[in-house]
Amino acid sequence: MYEPKDIIAILANNVRKTMSPFGIPKSMVNGWWKEESLPRNGETLLVTGLMYQLVPFIETATTWLARYEDAKWAEYLPYSRFVPPRLSGLGLAMITPAEAKRKAAGHLKNIVKAMRASGRRFGYQPELDEYSGILLYDLGDQEGFVRHAKRVAARLKGAGVTSIVTVDPHTTYALKVLYPKYADASFEVRAYFEDLNLSGAHAGETLSIHDPCFYGRYLELSGASRKALGNLGYACADARRSGLFTSCCGGPAESISPKLASRIGAKRVEALGGSGERIVTMCPICLHNLEKAGADVTDLSTVLAGGLKTA
Amino acid sequence: MSAVNPAFLDELEAYGENAGALCFNCGTCAAVCPLDGGHFPRKMIRYAQIGAVDRIREESRELWRCLHCGLCTQTCPRGANPGEVILTLKRLFAAEWRKS
Repeated sequence: MYEPKDIIAILANNVRKTMSPFGIPKSMVNGWWKEESLPRNGETLLVTGLMYQLVPFIETATTWLARYEDAKWAEYLPYSRFVPPRLSGLGLAMITPAEAKRKAAGHLKNIVKAMRASGRRFGYQPELDEYSGILLYDLGDQEGFVRHAKRVAARLKGAGVTSIVTVDPHTTYALKVLYPKYADASFEVRAYFEDLNLSGAHAGETLSIHDPCFYGRYLELSGASRKALGNLGYACADARRSGLFTSCCGGPAESISPKLASRIGAKRVEALGGSGERIVTMCPICLHNLEKAGADVTDLSTVLAGGLKTA
Repeated sequence: MSAVNPAFLDELEAYGENAGALCFNCGTCAAVCPLDGGHFPRKMIRYAQIGAVDRIREESRELWRCLHCGLCTQTCPRGANPGEVILTLKRLFAAEWRKS
């Protein structure tokens, strides 16, 4: 386990100086939209919160963290604060495999595909799409989180945004619950799968659903994802712990203890694998951590977009 | 020997909504916690109730093993919101680190 104080100091410094937990220039993180011909304006603004896009870099960073966890070298971590965030971010970006970045972009393209097929009208303005700061909140750096949330909220409010569609549970929770409470910013926030109107015929395939904690418990949205899949003809099997009582994938522990994250992830994979069905989830962190634990996991967006082919 | 501070829970309110006083230490939170092992988070909540700040400080790294998954809060029979108590304790220490 790393010293929480050291990890928080690094992440908070990165967010304060670059708006990103890893200090990676946004142009290197968020490029998926360029081939999508998305309108800038719409009744609702798509805000990804950059979580899907950041996962490839999280994978790289946690691989290195896992290598030195509990090793003597971990004592030198505090000295990394002397490295400018953009420099360390650039380094991280360079060693992150392009294939992982393409995969992350693919999920977002599939989400857009599903929303378009549903007739959902939305706009996208990449300059307004920022990381929500949720990791600082989870780690207890309230001052850092509130400062960042106010910066992000001010940009959205300044652009006249009132309605937002989100793609991951962490950003959804931050914008829907935390921003009104701590950043004096209230938006109408909906997860992308809440308003889908798709149809298809996949009778016969049963999916094993892993509800992310923020969707299943904090936001009580388990029914919405099952309804979207049900409309495409899929049947959903619930793991022993699901919905309001879902069990964690381990992902939130990654920054402090990759070993702990792996242990929790392996337990969850074991619980999900009992039915032998394809495992589906709807959170980039869950997706990454369950895959790392050895599961063959599919993102909800892949299933929805794939289902459209025969719809 | 550890000093206790009965006013500690009140002091914690500066860092978050705190229902820790409602906890009657049944241990449901520790039983359902995915970390499964030991008495987390029950032990920390008990320390907070009696204001055993030195003990919390000694074992403060444990707070960051918490996944903030909320299963303890969902299952707490007293509505004591164990997850929020842990998050509030994290905020207390994180704020101290910032000042230092």
